[in-house]
Amino acid sequence: MRNTLKVLMLGWELPPFFAGGVGMVCYHLTRALCQQGVDIIYVMPFGPRMIRSDYMRILIADHLFPRMRFRLKEIDSLLGAYETPESYDEEFRKYLASLSPRERAKALYGPNVFQEAYLFARKVRLIAMQEDFDIIHAHDHWTFPAAIEAKKATGKPLVIHVHITEFDKTGGMSVNQRVYEIERAGMHAADLIIVVSNFIKQRLINSYGVPPDKIRVVHNAAEAMNTNVYHDASKIKETDKIVLFIGRITLQKGPDYFVEAAKKVLEKDPNVKFIMAGTGDMLPRIIERVAELGIADKFIFPGFVTREEVAKLNKIADVFVMPSVSEPFGIVPLEAMWQETPAIISKQSGVSEVLNHVLKVDFWDVNDIANKILAVLHYRNLHDQLKHHGLLEVRSMTWEEPARKCIEIYKEVLRRK
Amino acid sequence: MVSVCFYFQVHQPERLRKYSVFDIGNNSNYFDEQKNKEIIRKVARKCYLPANNLLLRLIKKHKGRFKVSFSISGVALEQFEKYAPEVIYSFRQLARTGCVEFLNETYYHSLAFLFDKEEFKEQVLMHKKKIKDLFGQEPKAFRNTELIYNNELASFVQSLGYKTILAEGADHILGWRSPNYVYTPKTANKMKLLLKNYKLSDDVAFRFSNKGWEEYPLTVDKYAQWVSAANGNGYVVNLFMDYETFGEHQWEDTGIFEFLEHLPSEILKHPDNDFVTVSEASSRYPVVAELDIHNFVSWADIERDLSAWLGNSLQNAAANELYKIGRLVKETNDPKLLNDWRKLTTSDHFYYMCIKWFSDGDVHKYFNPYETPYEGFIAFMNVLNDIVIRIRELKQKKKQSNAESYTLNSETSSSSHSFISDTPSTHLFNINTHLNAEQSKGTSDTTHFSNQES
Repeated sequence: MRNTLKVLMLGWELPPFFAGGVGMVCYHLTRALCQQGVDIIYVMPFGPRMIRSDYMRILIADHLFPRMRFRLKEIDSLLGAYETPESYDEEFRKYLASLSPRERAKALYGPNVFQEAYLFARKVRLIAMQEDFDIIHAHDHWTFPAAIEAKKATGKPLVIHVHITEFDKTGGMSVNQRVYEIERAGMHAADLIIVVSNFIKQRLINSYGVPPDKIRVVHNAAEAMNTNVYHDASKIKETDKIVLFIGRITLQKGPDYFVEAAKKVLEKDPNVKFIMAGTGDMLPRIIERVAELGIADKFIFPGFVTREEVAKLNKIADVFVMPSVSEPFGIVPLEAMWQETPAIISKQSGVSEVLNHVLKVDFWDVNDIANKILAVLHYRNLHDQLKHHGLLEVRSMTWEEPARKCIEIYKEVLRRK
Repeated sequence: MVSVCFYFQVHQPERLRKYSVFDIGNNSNYFDEQKNKEIIRKVARKCYLPANNLLLRLIKKHKGRFKVSFSISGVALEQFEKYAPEVIYSFRQLARTGCVEFLNETYYHSLAFLFDKEEFKEQVLMHKKKIKDLFGQEPKAFRNTELIYNNELASFVQSLGYKTILAEGADHILGWRSPNYVYTPKTANKMKLLLKNYKLSDDVAFRFSNKGWEEYPLTVDKYAQWVSAANGNGYVVNLFMDYETFGEHQWEDTGIFEFLEHLPSEILKHPDNDFVTVSEASSRYPVVAELDIHNFVSWADIERDLSAWLGNSLQNAAANELYKIGRLVKETNDPKLLNDWRKLTTSDHFYYMCIKWFSDGDVHKYFNPYETPYEGFIAFMNVLNDIVIRIRELKQKKKQSNAESYTLNSETSSSSHSFISDTPSTHLFNINTHLNAEQSKGTSDTTHFSNQES
C-alpha cells in the first residue's frame, strides 16, 4: 500500500453548485481529509464546466461522457419531451441555471432522479476502471448504485456515508419503496457504513436490517459562521422577547409542537413573539392552528429565508427551538449557537448526542419545551451561561476530528481486505 | 507507632423532581420521593447493610482493637428512617460496640457557613440532637460539608464547643508538612485539626479498581505496608472517605469487601499499629504546629476548593437567591416551609449545576440525576419561585388575621404574580414594598417590611 490514501468519493452535490446540507458536509469533510494527507477524486453527476478545487480533483460525469444520456421516453418530468437527448440536456442545463438554489435542488432530486442515478452508475463504472484509488466512499443514497458498480468493476472496498434515510424524511408515513431499495442495496453492498449519529445507526439496524458491527458513527462538525451580522430589532425587543424556529415546515421538523408550546408559554408570559422561518407542506395547517389558538398576533411567518437572514434571525432571537420529530444530525442549532443564541433541541436528533451546552427536550413534551423556553427567557444567568458556553462549544467542533475518524475507518476496511 | 483513623462519610440528598414552571404556584411537592426511595434502598442493599455488617464482625473479631468513625448527614438519617429503617438499626448496633464514634456536621449537608452563620449554627445543633437521639452520643468532633474548611470556620466551630475538626490534607495547605501529625488551627488553639491523608485515602476510594493504575491490584499486605511506612514520620494516618466506596462506588465484584475484611488484621500484625476514632486520635497525640488557612479548602475535585458547588454563575445565583430568602422563610413560622427550604440548602443541588465537564465532569455526571447541569438549575429556580409565592401567601394570611380591616385587593393576590425570574427574592421584596406601602402609606424602604411584622 502507498503512503497516501487515494479515495474515489462519490457525491450528488457540492457547493456552490446545489448546496444542500449534504453538499456542505462533503465540502468540509473533503477539505479536512485532504489537509490530513488523503488524495480525493470527487465524482458528481452534474456541475458547471469550470468547477475546480485547489485541494482535490473533481470529475463531472456529465462532462466526461456527454453523449451518454438516458432515453427521452423515460423522462417523466415537468420539462416535457424533447427531440433529441442533446436538446434535453441543453434545456435541462439552462433550466437549472435559471433556478434559485432551492428550486435547483428540487429539480435535481425531482422525478428524473432514478434514471439519473442509474446513468451515473454506468459512467462511474467507466471512471472507476480508469482511475487509480484504494477505496470508494459514497455520500447520499443517489450515488449508491454508482458505488456498487464501482465496487463490482474494481473489487475495491466500499464505504458508504448515510446522512439521512427515507424514514427520516417522511416520518415513516409514506416511505418510497424504490428509494428504500436503493438505500438498502447500498448498505448491504458496503464493507463499512459511516452514519452521522447513533440515532441513525439505530434506524439502520431496525429498519434496514444492517448488522450493528458494520456501522461506524462519525458525528458532523460545525462549519465556522460569520458572526459579524447585525439587525435592528429594537422595536420588537422593546416590549417582547423572541423565540425562533428555523426549518422546513414539515412533519419531520415538529412545527406543530412548537405552536403548542408557544401557547403554553404565552399563558405565563404574554410578552413573547414567535418567529417561524421556512416553508413546507404543513405551513397552511400551522397558520390555521395558530389562529385557532388565538395567538396569531404573537406569530411572525417570514417564509423562506436566505442564509444571511438565518444569521440575522439567530442574532436577534432570545432562544432558538428545534423540536424535530426525527433529525439524523441537525445543524440548525449550531448556527444559533454561533450567533450566541441559546438552543433548545429535541433529543430525537443526532446533534443532541454531541452537544453539552444546550437544553434537550422530547419533541412531544410541549410542557417541557415551554418550561425551558420560559426558563431561558427569565433566568438571565441561564441564558448567559448557555450563550457563552454554546459559542465555545461550536467553536471547538472542527472538521479535523470527523476526518480523522474517516481515515481510521478507511484503514480498517483496507486491513480487512 | 502508627494509628489508623478511619472516618466514613454517609450522605444522600433529597433529590428534586423535574419541577416545571407550570408547577409554580400550583403544587409544592418538590422532591422526587420515588427516586429517593429507590436510591436509598439500592445503596442500603449494596453498601450500608453489608458494610455495617462486616464492620460489626470485625469489631467483635478484634475485641475492641478495630475502630471507626462516621459522619451521617441528617437528610440521610431521615431518609433511612423513612425508606430503610434497618439501616438505622444496624448503625445503632455499631454504636453499642463502643468502638464507633459519630461526628457532627450540618443536618442538611449544606454550605450554610458560607452564606448564613446563624443558619449554620442551627443546622449543627439540629444534627447534634439527632445523633444524640439515635446513637446516644454527644459529638465532640466536627466535620463540615465536603471537608470545607478555613480559619474562620475553625474559630466559629471552636466557639460551639468542639474539640476536634477535620480538613483535607491538600498539598497547597500543607506544603512540606505531613498530614500524619496532629495540628491546631491558627485561629482556634483549643481545638485540634486532623488532616486527611488524601493519597492513601484515594488509593482505596478512587483507585482501588482502576486497572490502568500501576499499583493495581491493591492487595491488603501492600496497603498495610504503605500505612506502616508512616512509622517514624507521623502518628496517625487519617483515612477519610465516602462510605459508599464500599459496594457502591467500588462494586462488590472488585473485591472491596474482602479488602476491608482483611485489612485490620494485616495492620494489627505490626505490634506498633492500632486503630483510633477521631476523638481518640485528637486527645492522644500532641499538636506539632499551627496551620494558618485563609482560603477555603475542600476534598472535592482536583481543585480542592469551592468550585464544584460555587464555580459558575448558575450556582452562585441559585445559592445567593436561596439564602437571601432564608430570613423571610423563618419569619413565616411555618415548619413545612422551613423544612422544604432547608432541604434546598443541601450542597448536592449546587453540585448538579457544575459545568466543569472536561476534567472532573465525569464524576459529577455519574452522580447527577439531571441530564445536564442546566436542568438542575431550572428545577431549582422554579422551586425557589414557588417558595417565594408561599412566603407571600403566608404573609398575607398573617396580615389578614392580624388586621381584620385589611383586605386584599386583586393586585396583591397571588395568582397575578406568577411571573418568574432568577432573582425571585426581588419580586418578594417588591411585593413587600407594595404591602408596606399599603399599610404605612408612603414608605417604600424595602428594609422596613420585616420590622413592621414585629
